[in-house]
Amino acid sequence: MGSSTEQLDPEAEVPEQAFEDYIIDLDFHVNPMTDELMSYVEDDVIRDKLTTEFGPTPVVGKWDAAYAIKEGTEGLYTQGRAEYAEDVREACKKFAIDEPIVNPGINNLNQQHHPLLKNGVTQAANDYMLDNFADEGMYTSMMVPKWDPEYAVEEIERVGSEDNIAAAYSWFDPKVPWGAEQFDPVFEALVEHDLPLLLHGSLAYWPQHTHIGDEMMTWTEVLGFDWPIHGMVNVVNMIMRGVFDRFPDLNVVLQEAGHWWVPFLRYRMDEFYEMHPEDVKITPRKHEAGERYLDRTPSEYLRDNFYLCTQPFAMPRNAGEAEGMLNLSLAEDMFIYSSDWPHQTLDPPTWFYTSRAFDDDTRQAILHENAEDILRL
Amino acid sequence: MSTESPVGDNFTKVAAADEIEQGTGIAVDVKGIEVAVFNTGDDFYAILNRCAHQQAPLYKAGEEKINAEDTWTDTRGGVDAENATVSCPWHLWEWDLETGEHEVTGKCISTFDVEVADGDVYVSI
Ligand code: FES
Repeated sequence: MGSSTEQLDPEAEVPEQAFEDYIIDLDFHVNPMTDELMSYVEDDVIRDKLTTEFGPTPVVGKWDAAYAIKEGTEGLYTQGRAEYAEDVREACKKFAIDEPIVNPGINNLNQQHHPLLKNGVTQAANDYMLDNFADEGMYTSMMVPKWDPEYAVEEIERVGSEDNIAAAYSWFDPKVPWGAEQFDPVFEALVEHDLPLLLHGSLAYWPQHTHIGDEMMTWTEVLGFDWPIHGMVNVVNMIMRGVFDRFPDLNVVLQEAGHWWVPFLRYRMDEFYEMHPEDVKITPRKHEAGERYLDRTPSEYLRDNFYLCTQPFAMPRNAGEAEGMLNLSLAEDMFIYSSDWPHQTLDPPTWFYTSRAFDDDTRQAILHENAEDILRL
Repeated sequence: MSTESPVGDNFTKVAAADEIEQGTGIAVDVKGIEVAVFNTGDDFYAILNRCAHQQAPLYKAGEEKINAEDTWTDTRGGVDAENATVSCPWHLWEWDLETGEHEVTGKCISTFDVEVADGDVYVSI
């Protein structure tokens, strides 16, 4: 017996319904070719040093995904390499992503040694992204140098008001956490420019050559858990040191820091703060303001000032359990869809259609509404 | 597509053999089931088209990447002829084309018998 057969639509890789929804992707990496990127460095002396055989980002991490996947280092480019806006458009089409918020993906920059050279790469990356993405009508997140807050402000003043600059992009890492007062001028500039601060994992990992760092041997430990732990550290540090009492309009998005830890933080922060609040007045911002306590309960800042990118979603298969986790994690207020294209950890927007855990309100909030609330679109 | 099967009643013609290039696959809907059919060069294999991890369409394994010349491996996942496996185009889970097994998780997806006759590829669902 025979039967009719039908070839599938090669343009669609995710469920049909995804093509009907409006989808913003808050973490889409572009990877400029090094030579072209370096041609954007304005300072001749800096460009000269960045283009030696040492390369612009010579410091490597102790761990690498290359040990953990069959294709080795190719995990960085599992889907390909987007260099220009048309590459991004081609990639997004099959995943039903309507509005990618692109970034130049130089996530090991923070880990490099020399601040001036790093500033040179930042300037070049921002100009490359303006020319090839923002000016091509694609929303872009500009790079903000965490290691040099003064230059960060300068760069926000220079680039932050350009058309299609929708957010600022920097990193959370095991170095100075973002609650430190040295970042206040950066926060002020971001609020003034109406830009949310996206903080991505930075390949800096656990402080290396430490007892814990030296014992980490698998990617599951390193990327899977190091990043969320440092994400949590940064969130709690910012809240408890009163960043949001001084900058109530500042929005912060953590990218690849995990998200299912929200319930833990909500209840633990509030419990501890309510029992032990008397040290808040000796944190520098509060002391300077002559204030004794936080203006609000810690979990309220978490809900109102923080957003978390969802990739990789790591959903429980059981829809009832997944729904409970979404509710406890305040997904409707805090989660924002991200794909992480082109990395091996890619998360196409499938969960929203394959799991019954999402009601329409939660789905729309994660796929675009929460992003629209905070991005400068 | 024509309905007469020279290889048995429960086989359905899915393509002409020369329509499936070596190292690539196609996907067809056979009796409501999405099937990926691969040509490893040594043989043709049929396996459920949806990866058990996150439902990626497996037949895209081996598709050329965007700006492939600037990456190391050229393709999204791919077919391994020697081991008769396919690695998924999204996260590279490796599926055994004979047994449908993913070794790390022990998960299995369906595989289907394939016959080639008169230059056509037939699959039994
Ligand atoms: S969907 Fe196939 S490996 Fe993830």
